[in-house]
Amino acid sequence: MMNWNLYSRGDKFFAIMVSIMVGMFTVATLYPFIYIAAVSFSSGFAAQAGKVVITPIDATLEAYGYIIVDPQFWISYRNTFIYTIGGTIMSLAFIIPGAYALSRRQLKGRRFFNLFIAFTMWFNAGLIPFFLNMRDLNLLDSMFGIILAFAVNAFNIILLRNFFESIPQSFEEAARMDGANDFQVLWKVYVPLSKPAIATITLFCIVSRWNGFFWAMVLLQSEDKIPLQVFLRHTIAQLSDDDEFAILQTEAAFSAETVTAAIIVCSIIPVLIVYPFIQKYFEKGILLGGVKE
Amino acid sequence: MAGVNLSGIIKRYGAVQVVHGIDLDVAEREFVVLVGPSGCGKSTTLRMIAGLEEISEGDLEIDGRRMNRVAPKDRDVAMVFQNYALYPHLNVADNMAFGLRIRKMPKDQIATTIAETAEILGLTDYLARRPADLSGGQRQRVAMGRAIVRHPKVFLFDEPLSNLDAKLRTQMRAEIKRLHNRLGVTSVYVTHDQVEAMTLADRIVVMNDGRIEQIGTPMELFNNPVNTFVAGFLGSPPMNQMKAQLTETGARVGASEIKLTGAINGNAGRDVIVGIRPEHVTLYPGDQTAALPIQLDLVEPLGSEALLHGRFGEDPVVFKTETNGDIAHLQGVNQVHVPASLVKIFDAETGRALRLEH
Repeated sequence: MMNWNLYSRGDKFFAIMVSIMVGMFTVATLYPFIYIAAVSFSSGFAAQAGKVVITPIDATLEAYGYIIVDPQFWISYRNTFIYTIGGTIMSLAFIIPGAYALSRRQLKGRRFFNLFIAFTMWFNAGLIPFFLNMRDLNLLDSMFGIILAFAVNAFNIILLRNFFESIPQSFEEAARMDGANDFQVLWKVYVPLSKPAIATITLFCIVSRWNGFFWAMVLLQSEDKIPLQVFLRHTIAQLSDDDEFAILQTEAAFSAETVTAAIIVCSIIPVLIVYPFIQKYFEKGILLGGVKE
Repeated sequence: MAGVNLSGIIKRYGAVQVVHGIDLDVAEREFVVLVGPSGCGKSTTLRMIAGLEEISEGDLEIDGRRMNRVAPKDRDVAMVFQNYALYPHLNVADNMAFGLRIRKMPKDQIATTIAETAEILGLTDYLARRPADLSGGQRQRVAMGRAIVRHPKVFLFDEPLSNLDAKLRTQMRAEIKRLHNRLGVTSVYVTHDQVEAMTLADRIVVMNDGRIEQIGTPMELFNNPVNTFVAGFLGSPPMNQMKAQLTETGARVGASEIKLTGAINGNAGRDVIVGIRPEHVTLYPGDQTAALPIQLDLVEPLGSEALLHGRFGEDPVVFKTETNGDIAHLQGVNQVHVPASLVKIFDAETGRALRLEH
């Protein structure tokens, strides 16, 4: 427990303000989740009338019933999994060795390569040249194109490179004396020691892949290749001017709003499930005990 | 087992030369200690033997084979690091097995080797623990275990005890010595601690500023240092060094004169440095002793011995004497006596010893 008597008035004021700000931020972050979940379980009428605030009104699962019978929902769901898992593996396959190489002092032209990578963080070719590039590489409307094109991210490489640089050199030297080659030093020493950093990057990759919308929309045309986020957009666009749906929803207990909310909830669930498993690797002090400085 | 031969080893970092031509032959089964102050190039030399630093010039041979361009893993040497460098994500057994697995040793053989080594080092009960759950001494043992299991031709130690507290250091020092007696592996050991050097070494190599000052057995170096640097580096406290001038019969320091045996003919008037080991003095005169008047300013009791701090002429001096269980009688000391044969004379300009034999 905090002993308030030890704090000056200024400190107390500061602590109270911080608590209020954190509280407001928490509400601002959590409320959209709660609201969307509440809408997805509400009746279409209640949602359209704007009656839903925190809890579902006239609770029903009809919106979910509507989407789970749509085969396109499952196809795009599957695609999102493919892009997320494939993309994350592809990213790690590039980022881990890349970051390791950039962290080694013996790399010739290391400064140049580091600058080169960092450069792409601030400047890139832009939308149209990138699109044309993908077109010329024959990667338009290609699932592999989506996985490959966004595999390398300069920020993640720099993050991991900095982590590798912070690992005492003597681990590498000990491993080399033990007979390890470059690959073994990386795989058997640096990767296990970098679990927290790699877990962070994995989570970044998973979340950005899972939420990847814009480029998928630009590059993919076939319905059987689009991810969930693009499917969601299609659904919103379709439902709002689909006469058939308008008739259907007058008879049912769902609306465009509740169906959209249900898709969003379905798309959030896997990330929520994965997060705790990755979060346990955010442990600090994994280097403790190995070396004595 | 194998010998290690260094000839004309030079190390440069860019334009800066830090090791200026090291010549050293370490015999098979020998325990050689490189000792010197920080930055003297001893660790760099060791790392060149390990293959962790490139050799700029000169030749390195291990077991008669030139190793300059051979990768560390192919030199068949094992190194114990100052900071242990134990893999924190692996337990003790896996740490020791790391190198063996990489070398694809069969599993049952690995298990046997680890069990044997753990037994030797008293680590059997700790094999399943991670480094973070071990004490400093245990970690040090694991680091040695990791080197031992490979049965290398040469052990390299890079200040392995400097992170331990004084008591543990003494204990581990004895363990390293016992281990060397038992295994008989050629060893090169780097330290800045002269006590470690004296106690462990078959031969000591005193280094300074990237050069070897003297090579010899501990007692050779202690009794016959070739220069003031070696004289001042070995011994605890180190040898007292006082500016003096040679006379026909001895050396004059300030207003006093120390009689010397076997005076240096024709050198009277030469500026020299007189060296006297703290433990070579007595409080009472004897045959062939020279009296040194000192101004005592501090007595430090160490139990059975005491250190007398004072001044001799302009130079600060420290002498060591027995207490006989009481230091009260030491407070009034105003002169000590040193056997003339134990007084060392060095050239004032070059620092080189003027007489080695008596």
